[in-house]
Amino acid sequence: MAETVTVRQLNERVRSLLSDSAAVRDVWVAGEISGLKKYPSGHYYFTLKDADSEIRAVMFSRYRPRLDFEPADSMMVSALGSAGIYVERGQYQFSVESMRRSGVGDLYLAFEALKRKLGAEGLFDAGRKRSLPPYPRVIGVVTSPAGAAIHDIITTSRRLFPADILLAPALVQGAGAAESIASGIALLNRHGVDAIIVGRGGGSMEDLWAFNEEAVARAIAASAAPVISAVGHETDFTIADMVADVRAPTPTGAAELALRDAGEIRRQLDSEASRAARALRSAADRARSRFAVLDSKLSPQRAAERAAMLSMRLDELSGRAASALEKALSSARSRLAVAESAAGARASPAEPARRELERFSERLEGVSPMSVLGRGYCFLTGPGGEAVSSARSLRPGSAIGIRMMDGSAEAEISEVRMDER
Amino acid sequence: MSDEEATEETFEESLKALEKIVRDLEGGGLPLDEAIKAYERAALYRDRCRKILDEADRRVQKLIEAADGARKEDFLTE
Repeated sequence: MAETVTVRQLNERVRSLLSDSAAVRDVWVAGEISGLKKYPSGHYYFTLKDADSEIRAVMFSRYRPRLDFEPADSMMVSALGSAGIYVERGQYQFSVESMRRSGVGDLYLAFEALKRKLGAEGLFDAGRKRSLPPYPRVIGVVTSPAGAAIHDIITTSRRLFPADILLAPALVQGAGAAESIASGIALLNRHGVDAIIVGRGGGSMEDLWAFNEEAVARAIAASAAPVISAVGHETDFTIADMVADVRAPTPTGAAELALRDAGEIRRQLDSEASRAARALRSAADRARSRFAVLDSKLSPQRAAERAAMLSMRLDELSGRAASALEKALSSARSRLAVAESAAGARASPAEPARRELERFSERLEGVSPMSVLGRGYCFLTGPGGEAVSSARSLRPGSAIGIRMMDGSAEAEISEVRMDER
Repeated sequence: MSDEEATEETFEESLKALEKIVRDLEGGGLPLDEAIKAYERAALYRDRCRKILDEADRRVQKLIEAADGARKEDFLTE
């Protein structure tokens, strides 16, 4: 006769069976999280499932500090725990004490190891970083031909400095992606591009994994053209980002780094052009004013003015000479009359007077400016044609006229020396 | 400088040449006839830079690996 037990007793018996069994205690279970519920108590309830089966799971709040990630539905995890029974409900469940993301642990270790290795080789050194050409003619792009990245780059480049875009189609995730990206970089280098953008749109760490592989890092380091990494991930740096010459957060950002803004260049051109025009105008102004100074000295009008001035001066001088002669003659005449009346009728009474008259004539010759000039003297005239008689009226640079017996000359004073008195 | 020579220069070279001419002009040391010649060259370089900037039909191509190496093919995103 079978024993009769309470429901609770039955569940308790199953629980102790399970808890005594090493086969279901402290085991790692790999599966996908689904139906995750986070209770205010801090406990997590969810289902762990794989392709064939599933089990209810609970993770109590006291174990949560052991997690280095936030669990979410669809996440592949490995959970450490024990199978047991929730007695009150007779519910079979897996009690989780620790959990890690599937594969991520291994990937993380590989990432850290490669980072250390390449870092030790100096591949991340700032001194290796090359600057981008300011006006590239051809930009190479290594990415998926079907992805958003190439589309973003082409769209963005339309408003930037014009450059051809050469795409090396590559797988950017999954098996063979790293090799595909690496050979794309090498292919573009063989074709000779001015800069290379390597990247893809955003994704999970697993999606971006190809950019953490050594083949990609080596290809970037070996590239003759400078490389911009554009792995669409704002927070985490991939190995590719560290080796690349420039890191852009997104493919759009990479295009903006590779190609300068066309409007900005146009403004620069306009400013250069207007500077050239201004400089030419001022060169012309300088030449014009230098010419004007010379031209004014050569103008026929100015020459005629000077000639008129000189001839007026001559008239004045000869007038003064004539009146001086008149005066001398009348004085001689009156002295002759006095002598005649005093001497009466002597022989050749006019003889002394005639000699005196001759002396006066000779002196008059001396008074005439023209005869003085004949002896090698000359006289100076100022800019207005007035006679210059004092060195005090002259300055270095003063323009003067020189009147000589048979012509005149223009000169410039280089030095003025006053006589000492 | 002939036009043929000018077309072989890149945008960067043209822009650098333009900048140098403007600096020379601004230095004020050039005689007028040379300044005029320099300005004409500056205008040539400026027009050339503008022309490059205004080129609308930039090419977007992709490289296809073929048996005899790689060849280029037009790449259309739309």
